[in-house]
Amino acid sequence: MIRRRTLLMGSAASAALLLACRRAFAEEAASYIIGTLFPMAGPNAEYGAIFTAGAQMALAHLAEDKMLRKPVELRAEDSQATPQGGATGMTKLANVDHAVYTLIGFTGVSKAAAPIGQRNKVVMVNGGGVGPDLSGLAPLFWNVIPLIDKEIAAIIPWLKAQGAKRVAVLYVDDPLGNAALKQISDALPANGGTLAGSFSIAPTAQQFGPIAAKIRESTPDAVYFASYGAQQAQIIKQLRDNGVSQQLVTYSAATIPSVRDLAEAEGLVFTAQLSDWTLQDPVTQRFVKDWREKYHSDPTTYHQNYYNAVRLFGLLAQGLEKAGKPVDGEALRAELLRVRKFALVGGEGTFDDNCNISIPIQINRMKGGKAERIG
Amino acid sequence: MLLVQLLASGIQTGLIYALTAAGFALIFGATRVFHVAHGATFALAGYAFLETADAGLAWPLACVASLVVAVGFGLAMDALVYRPILRHEGSFFTVFVAAFGMVVVVQSLLELAFGRSFVAYSSPLTRATAVLPGLYLAPVFWVAILVTILLLVLTGLFLGRTRAGVALRALSENPELLRAYGLSARRLSALAFALGSALAVPGAVLIAATSGLQPSIGPHVMLISLAASIVGGIGSLRGAVAAGLLLGVTESLVVAVLDTQWSEAAGFVLLFGFILFRPSGLLGQPVPR
Repeated sequence: MIRRRTLLMGSAASAALLLACRRAFAEEAASYIIGTLFPMAGPNAEYGAIFTAGAQMALAHLAEDKMLRKPVELRAEDSQATPQGGATGMTKLANVDHAVYTLIGFTGVSKAAAPIGQRNKVVMVNGGGVGPDLSGLAPLFWNVIPLIDKEIAAIIPWLKAQGAKRVAVLYVDDPLGNAALKQISDALPANGGTLAGSFSIAPTAQQFGPIAAKIRESTPDAVYFASYGAQQAQIIKQLRDNGVSQQLVTYSAATIPSVRDLAEAEGLVFTAQLSDWTLQDPVTQRFVKDWREKYHSDPTTYHQNYYNAVRLFGLLAQGLEKAGKPVDGEALRAELLRVRKFALVGGEGTFDDNCNISIPIQINRMKGGKAERIG
Repeated sequence: MLLVQLLASGIQTGLIYALTAAGFALIFGATRVFHVAHGATFALAGYAFLETADAGLAWPLACVASLVVAVGFGLAMDALVYRPILRHEGSFFTVFVAAFGMVVVVQSLLELAFGRSFVAYSSPLTRATAVLPGLYLAPVFWVAILVTILLLVLTGLFLGRTRAGVALRALSENPELLRAYGLSARRLSALAFALGSALAVPGAVLIAATSGLQPSIGPHVMLISLAASIVGGIGSLRGAVAAGLLLGVTESLVVAVLDTQWSEAAGFVLLFGFILFRPSGLLGQPVPR
C-alpha cells in the first residue's frame, strides 16, 4: 500500500523533474541575445541605421552557415548618442533583455554604458566610437575600430608632407572632441607644426558662420574638425560658404552619406581604417558581394566594423560551444584572448590585451561623392 | 575687422530669427493663439524649398512651393486644430500642448519622408567672397536684408493702411464688434495664420540655403521664435523683429570673446534678463500668466 507521504514525495519529485526538464528545454531553445545601443532618432540617427545594417548582414551569414546551436536575436535600444541614453539602454539590455553581447557606438555613450555592462557581465563591442580613452575602458569593453589616436597619428605626418604647418582645430566639446584636440596639440610640435587655434563647439550647434570668421583670422594652413553626425556636413558647408578655403581634414566619422553627398565636401581629406574591398580572402569577398547585391553600393567602414563585431561573436560562441563551455561575458573574453587572431572582413584582425583590434589606417580624399584612397 | 564680420554674420542670422518671430507675433497678436507649431511651419517650408529645388525647379518657383506649403499648413492648423479646441473652450495650455505635439508629429513625418540626415542647397548665392580684406559676404546676405525690409514694410503697410489689416489688429481686442461690422472673425483668423506662416518662408529658405536642414530644425526654430517674441514683447511685430535681430547679433558677437558653444546660451541669458527685469519685453505687453 502506498503511503500518503510517499505519494506526496513522489508527486513533488515528478513536478521538480518536470520543471527542471522544462527549464533545461527552455534554455536550450532560447536565443543568444545581442543588444544594440545605437542612436535611432535625432541628428545622429544616420549612424544607427548604418551600424544596424552591418550587424544584420552578419546575422544573416551566421544563420546561413548554421555556425551556432542557438539562433541569434538582435534587440535594439536607442542610445540617442547621449551618455544618459547609453546608461538607460545598457541597463535595459542587461537586465530586461538579458543580452550576453552588445554592440555600441559613440564615445560618450560607451563611457556611460561600460560600468553597467561590466557589472552585469555583458560584452560591449564598439565599432563606431573612436575616443582614445575607450581603450581598456572595462575588461568586457572591446573595440573593433581603431581609435582616433591611431587616425591622428596617421594624418599628422601627411599634413607635414603637404606643408601644412599651422593647423586650426574645430572640435565638439565632449570626450571625443577633447581627446582629438589633446592628441593633435601633442602631436603637432613633434612634427614641426603648430596649433593655429582651437575652437570648441557644442554638440548641438548648427551655426558656424561666426566661427568661420575666427578660423580665417587664425590663418591656418589646414583645418581639422572633430565632430560627428549631421553636424559635420553643416560645418563643411558653412566653413566653405564663409570663406574658409584651406584644406579641411577630419577622421572616420565622415564616412556617412550626408557628408559624401555634399558638394562642398569635395576635396575633404579624412582618415579611416583600411577598407580594401578587393581583398581576396573569402570573408571579405562574401561580405562585399552580398552587400553590393543587397544595397547596390559599396559598404562603408562602419558596415564593416559592425559586421565584424557580430561575426566575432559567432566565432567566439562557436569555439565555446565546441568546448562545452557556457557562452557568457567572462567566457567570451577568455576565448578572445586565447585565440587573438580572427578571419574578419578586411583581413585578419588581431586583438591586444585591452581587446582593441589592430588594423592599418588609410588616408582618403572625397572626390565626386566617393572616397578615394590617397595614402 | 573680426567684429565687423561677426556683426554681419549676426545680422544674417538675426534676420532669419526676426522674420520667423514676426510671423509668430503676428499670429499671436491677432488670434491670441500661442502657435508654437510655427516651428513646424518653418521646417515644412524649408523642406518644400529644398525638395522642389532639388527636383529641378528654379529657385524662385521653389520659393513659391515653399510658400504654398507654409500657408497651407498654417491654415490647416487654424481650421483643424486650434478652432476645434477653442470651440470646446480649450485653455491656453491645451492649445499650447496641441501645437507642441504637432511640432513633434511634423518632425517625425519629415524623418519618415526625407530621412534623418542633413540636406542642403548648394548655390553660388551662399558663397561668400572678400568685399574688404578680412570681410567676407555672400550675395545671400544682401538678399536677406532686402527681402526682410521689403516684407516688413509690406506687412506694416497692410496692417496699418488696409481695412483687413486694421480689422486683423482689432481681432484679438473685440471680435464681437468686428462681427457687428459684418467682418468674419474666422476669416480674419485664417488671414492671420496665412500671413504669419508666409513670414516663415524667407527664413526657412535662408536656413536651407546657408546652414542646411534636418527634421529637428522645427523645435529649434520654435525655441528661438518664442525667445524673440518674449524679448520683443508678446504680440508686438516690431518688437519681435528687433528682438530677433538682437538675438542673432548677440549670438554672433559672443563668439569674439567666448567659445561658440556659449553663443546660443547667450541669447537665452538675454531672454532670462528680460523675463526678470522687463517682462513686457522691448515693445510689448506683459507675458501672459
